[in-house]
Amino acid sequence: MIGVLDVLAPTIIFTVCSVATVPIITFIRRRTRSHRGLLTLAWISTVFVAALISIVRLSTEYYGQSQQQFLTVSLTGDSMLSVSSVFLVDSVSVYMSTVYLIVGFMSCVYGVLCVSAGEKFSERYYALMLMTIGSVMAASFSGDLLTLFVFWEASAASSCFLIVYRKTRRSLEASLKFLIMIVIASGFVVYGLSVVYGLVGSLNFWAVREALMVLENKQLLVFAFAFIATGYGIETAIVPFHMWLPDAYTAAPSSSSALLSSVVDQASYYIVLRILIYILTPPAILNWPNALAIFSAITMTVGNLFALTQTNVKRLISYVCIADIGYNLVAITSVTPLGIMGNLYFFLVGGVTTALSFMLIGIFNRMGLKTVEDFSGAGRRFPAISVPLVIAMLSFSGVPPLAGFMAKYMVFTAAVESEIAWLAVVGVLNTVLQTAYFLRLIHYMYAKPPTKPVEGKAPWKLLAPAYVLVALIIILGVYPTLVLGLIYPAVEQIGSLIP
Amino acid sequence: MQMALFFSLLMPCLAAPIAYLSGKKRPKVAALVVASVSIIDLCLLYTTLSTIQAQGRYVESYYWMPMLGSTFTLFVDGISLSMAVITLALILAVALFSVNYMAEKETVSGYYAMLSLLTVGLVGVFITSNLLFFYFCWELMLIPTYFIIGGWGYKEPYHAAFKFFIFTHAGAVFVLLGIGAIYMLTGTIDMFQARSLLATAPSEVLDWVLAAFTLGFAVKMAIVPVHMWLPDAHSEAPAPMSAILSGVIIEAGAYAILRVSLGTVFPSLPTTQIGSPFLHILAIFGVVSAFYGAFTALAEKDIKRIVAYSSISHMGYVLFGLSLFPISEGLTGATYHLVTHGVSKGLLFLAAGSIMMQTKIRNIDEMGGLAGRMPFTAASSAIAAFSIAGAPPFACFISEFLIFVGGVQAGGSDNFYFLPTALLLVATVFSLAYVLRFFRKVFLESSKIKEVKEAPIFMIASMVILAFLVILLGVWPQHFIDLISSALF
Repeated sequence: MIGVLDVLAPTIIFTVCSVATVPIITFIRRRTRSHRGLLTLAWISTVFVAALISIVRLSTEYYGQSQQQFLTVSLTGDSMLSVSSVFLVDSVSVYMSTVYLIVGFMSCVYGVLCVSAGEKFSERYYALMLMTIGSVMAASFSGDLLTLFVFWEASAASSCFLIVYRKTRRSLEASLKFLIMIVIASGFVVYGLSVVYGLVGSLNFWAVREALMVLENKQLLVFAFAFIATGYGIETAIVPFHMWLPDAYTAAPSSSSALLSSVVDQASYYIVLRILIYILTPPAILNWPNALAIFSAITMTVGNLFALTQTNVKRLISYVCIADIGYNLVAITSVTPLGIMGNLYFFLVGGVTTALSFMLIGIFNRMGLKTVEDFSGAGRRFPAISVPLVIAMLSFSGVPPLAGFMAKYMVFTAAVESEIAWLAVVGVLNTVLQTAYFLRLIHYMYAKPPTKPVEGKAPWKLLAPAYVLVALIIILGVYPTLVLGLIYPAVEQIGSLIP
Repeated sequence: MQMALFFSLLMPCLAAPIAYLSGKKRPKVAALVVASVSIIDLCLLYTTLSTIQAQGRYVESYYWMPMLGSTFTLFVDGISLSMAVITLALILAVALFSVNYMAEKETVSGYYAMLSLLTVGLVGVFITSNLLFFYFCWELMLIPTYFIIGGWGYKEPYHAAFKFFIFTHAGAVFVLLGIGAIYMLTGTIDMFQARSLLATAPSEVLDWVLAAFTLGFAVKMAIVPVHMWLPDAHSEAPAPMSAILSGVIIEAGAYAILRVSLGTVFPSLPTTQIGSPFLHILAIFGVVSAFYGAFTALAEKDIKRIVAYSSISHMGYVLFGLSLFPISEGLTGATYHLVTHGVSKGLLFLAAGSIMMQTKIRNIDEMGGLAGRMPFTAASSAIAAFSIAGAPPFACFISEFLIFVGGVQAGGSDNFYFLPTALLLVATVFSLAYVLRFFRKVFLESSKIKEVKEAPIFMIASMVILAFLVILLGVWPQHFIDLISSALF
């Protein structure tokens, strides 16, 4: 029997350890001189291993059952379900927590290594990283709209600190922008939720779903949906609400950008997926796919067009993140099992690829290479850093046999399948656009002579997590069954929801 | 041998890092690694020959992605085997050629690693029936080529490489859409299974699928008007890469049209007999390409651009041959032309490369009289050039002859075909003209350059191998033609 504690175990571990991190790392710093980095790394790994064990326990228990249903557990037992916090265990949430764990761990390791390579992070930084991952994980296990909202806002709040961490003028500005957008967004979401509560008298996913199924007059629902969608649209950075994202990711330290783009970003797509597919299942409840298809096309195109004009490489990758949102929305819009499978696969692949590219660009930035021009000749000078970056870029552009290709293949095939072929065509043309600006960067890296002297030495240590991610990209591309096996039960579950 | 095909893909994969590491100190070792891998692959493919002769097709199937209705299926039939064999022979020659040719360039270890990866892509395209893996290999041809052209080419190589990448990648995404549509319509992405399942699909969707596939493949094949990437890429690439580009990569486009457009999708259309509008369109574009390529080649002065434009012209012949579906002479001729043209054009590019390397000039007006100075290069150029012109007893004569026979035969049931066949016959005259002009200006006339030496030994060896093949395929075509015609649908 799975209880509340089992479900919350990963979150509790992350939160408790995050609080404990401050004294422990201070202790490590005061008492030891030589092995600081190693000990910090050991502590972070312990946290992740503990979380991994709890997730593995949860999933073995869950998959040990004869039937995999949507399993809800609530804080108050079976009474007062309409107001109690409810947690939901299903194949998707188990899968998502695994994804967060993998990419989150890599970003944290990178963050720790950054310190040993000279970056000044204090213990609070690690605490915030763990806190972010913990709250995102709780959000993925949430079973009612309010719990989801609370934990999601918690993750947004801690990401705000991750962005501002350097306390430069730019990062202050960016995080202020982020904060304002998030506050507006939560206002929208809360308002939408209140309307939904007024309509159905509960915020529990299944209660809402059932009540909405039989709802006659849908005018108010459309109204509420508009607010909720706008709110989460802002947090997901769907165009035209995307302005905060490039600033935030560019101003944040690279380890923060890696974590934000790989964990928080993917979590926001997951929330959109959860709400749109699981609760507002089209077309029975609300026929939103056409509207979303337009936003998806705009998001892809705008993201890629802006990326095309960027000179700062980190900012360029931020715009790629926006384009990625568009691809994810294509998958959600298709509302087919294949699309959901592609989307869930995309969460992992997109997370891995963006994290990888932010890590590598962080290394280049550290050496003083920031703009596309600076990257001239980098390919020949630093093959060990450039080759992974080229692999990441090719994976973004959907070149097989890298993981990005499989994700895009499934997503676009799903779009063709659900008869929105025009969106698939827009998508593939966008891919070509993406290839074009990445080739431009590759062109600079390999074809041009170096223009800028390099400050300091290349920090080789930082490459360790990057190479793990490169291996993941190649393995996931050549043999996706590895992950598709995890996703497949989720797809079967969704199949029972979609008529 | 079991798993022969799997190993034939695995070997070059493994060879890539080996070539990279060994090439850092001794480039020659890296070249020999690539060359020996292609010999091993040839042996592996040879083991499948008896099965092909007995059953027509040799298949291997592995577990891959059951969730997407996809097994990892490798197969060879007569057509695939011919293409794969020619690819490997060309890779072998090119690897040997590179020993001397790349000797002066820096960091060639990456070059050999890329060449090895390219082998995976090229062989993979021809021996898989899984469309998704086909697409994997299709793109795997692209990336190493991009880096080889960019890294070791002439003038502004990355510019040419960029053009190449964007054009062919844009073509490839249409192929991807087509694959997605096939998956949607049939639930499988195996070419042969899809072929039977597509019969029930709605024909207006199939029209689009066919158009998407053919457009995507035609870009790779460099059919006018989507040929713009070819002259730059071919002429700026290092000579070994040009040989592979012209000898195999653009032919992969033709192979794909034969295998996927015509082989998988086309039979399910309502009108499939001779005279279907789709086939007429192919024939028209074929003739246009043949003339465009020949005329431009006649006006060019750059030694490699002449050869490059000649490739466009020849892809026009092949496309015309394919448009004769389902007449077996036409299809056999077109497929055999892929084989013969691959070898001949590869040889011609290698010869052009050796001339450029020894003389350091590209303009044919400034050359002349090289026949006496570079006898081996001159002889192999002559063999290749006359084969390209379609003169007996060299290889391309047989295949062009078959295409024309097919054309006349098709004309018997559909009057439309008489005109293009006649026009193509006229085009061969122009081929002869540009070939003679090329040969006269480079090798005959009075010498304008002094102190030119014959190419080094490895380059000669590689040219001799290909020249031998050109003659062999011309005087003894029976074996290949049997293989190819046994595999036709």
